[in-house]
Amino acid sequence: MATTVKSLTPSPFHLPKRARSVLLNLALILVCMLMLFPVFSTLVLSFKQQSDVRSLPPRLFPCNTATDTFDLAACRFFGEGYERVFLAKPSPNALLGFQITGRIFSTYLPNTVLYAFATAFFVTIISAMSAYVYSRYRFRGRRALMIALLVLAGVPVLTMLLALQQTANGIRRIIPGYEERIFMIIVYVGLELPFAIWVVKGFFDTIPKELEEAALIDGCSRFGALVRVVAPLATPGLMSIFLLAFVNVWNEFIVNYLLMSKQNLRGAMYGVFDFIAQSLSSYNALAAACVLVMVPVIVVFLFTRRVFFRAMVDGAITG
Amino acid sequence: MRATAPATPTHTPVPKRSAFARTLPFWLLLPGLLIIAAIQLYPSLFTFYLSVQRIEPGTGRYVFRGLDNFARLLSTQQFQESLAHTVLFLGGYCAFTLACALGIALLLRQRVRLSPLYITLIFVPWVLSDVVAGVIWRLFVVPEYGLFSPFFANPDLFGGSRGISILTSPAAPSILGDLPFPPAPALIFLMLASAWKILPFTTLLILAALQTVPQEVLESGSIDGATGRQSFRYITLPLILPTLAVTLFNLTLGGINGVGMVFSLTGGGPGTATEVLSYLLYSIGFARLDFGLAAALSTLMSMLNLVLVVSTLRLTGVQED
Repeated sequence: MATTVKSLTPSPFHLPKRARSVLLNLALILVCMLMLFPVFSTLVLSFKQQSDVRSLPPRLFPCNTATDTFDLAACRFFGEGYERVFLAKPSPNALLGFQITGRIFSTYLPNTVLYAFATAFFVTIISAMSAYVYSRYRFRGRRALMIALLVLAGVPVLTMLLALQQTANGIRRIIPGYEERIFMIIVYVGLELPFAIWVVKGFFDTIPKELEEAALIDGCSRFGALVRVVAPLATPGLMSIFLLAFVNVWNEFIVNYLLMSKQNLRGAMYGVFDFIAQSLSSYNALAAACVLVMVPVIVVFLFTRRVFFRAMVDGAITG
Repeated sequence: MRATAPATPTHTPVPKRSAFARTLPFWLLLPGLLIIAAIQLYPSLFTFYLSVQRIEPGTGRYVFRGLDNFARLLSTQQFQESLAHTVLFLGGYCAFTLACALGIALLLRQRVRLSPLYITLIFVPWVLSDVVAGVIWRLFVVPEYGLFSPFFANPDLFGGSRGISILTSPAAPSILGDLPFPPAPALIFLMLASAWKILPFTTLLILAALQTVPQEVLESGSIDGATGRQSFRYITLPLILPTLAVTLFNLTLGGINGVGMVFSLTGGGPGTATEVLSYLLYSIGFARLDFGLAAALSTLMSMLNLVLVVSTLRLTGVQED
């Protein structure tokens, strides 16, 4: 039966089932290795010492000896790159006896964590509120609003940045001491919302109305039904929107870079971008910076992949 | 955006319900509408307004100049060049990504026990940011010490020694007159890196479409003597064609708008070889501060995007209940 759909596989038409399965797995393993190779080579590079970074001809592993090109016993791995990112300085007042002075850790990552958590939190709540209405109420203009959301989601962010930057400058002039981080978070929430509302509406549509009606009959208010009945059932869906927004903001560069005029309000991706020029030929440090900012999202993704796939396929097929 | 008339599912007035309960949908919608209006709608309209204005030298006031900015934009050589780069980039990027994604999706469609594991591993590049992905690929080709640098410095493959890295070597002389073809090695490399980043997502979309092809139809096809190739050509392909089109539009959208990777991988260079429209927009609007021109380019790009989005909506036929 499985022999019907395999047209583009490397022609295992008349192979026995066992051999076919082996071939298929080999092909997929090869694909995985190709996809993961850039990440893997960056990881290896981040642990090289400077003299191995500058070996000619370039080598993937720092395992060459005077006689051999590869000798497992001779592999040299160091934390030199990471030291350059952390720039830990001994400081008697600090908790652990030293202080991290590398700007990625002291400034940019904390900003990113703040932006990502705050945005994900507000996007989840606001999109749940809007999506509930779109899913449960019928009113004039509902369809038009939903289509407008999709159309707005398709307007490229870059084209709006000029106007947003002018707005930011205007606010800065009018309110001298305002907190720019709040503006940043509002912008992120606005950019993530249209897509999030569509995805969450999809989740709400799958929750039977009868459950709420039962709660209403039992004397629950409409708002109470939303909080007590619908929200708990929608938790997996809402979690996926939270995670998606979190990862999107964590990875975002251009909006943050162009809207925040002060360097110390920018996020981790700016830190990496800035590090390109700073690290000159310390490619191990540049690789280490990449590893440090990508590991959190990879870990989050690996632990929650099911939730991720769900939000993405749902969202991509409607929007 | 029009204010929404609050409406309740039942039209018979229920006396004991409070004003808050009756207007609940309105209050629930309000925060979302306000934020979207401020962050998405207003800037789009303001950009459109800016595109027909020009700042008067001296006074700094905006004056209406009609389509002046657009005419100015279309006549610059920089715009024509980056349009050509964008078209070349999009062509290669979309074709390469779609072909690879279809191949991988067809492999995954076979019933392999470890499929979930493979999908997860293949998906890792997608969760990386553009900037990090750009740096990762940049590290492959940094002068002399990158893993791929010797390959790109090979004079037999890339004609003469034009520098030690594709980050610095310019394009070969064009064989098509004004169109910069063949593109600079850096642009091809940018294509490859961008395709790597988006490939997981594209694969997932196509895989989802493949899984909607009913097994019974394929089985009856094979009973009727269809070979694997025939059943792909005459059963699977027609059924997934709408998804392929949607995927293509998604790719085009992402390709036109993506700028993070250009920033971190090539910085638009060498020269202007990888300056695509989105990067041009950045350099006009934020480096040269020519707002009118940047707004005109923004408007053009938004229009292009709207056409793509509307076509996608047509194709998917968003029929919400």
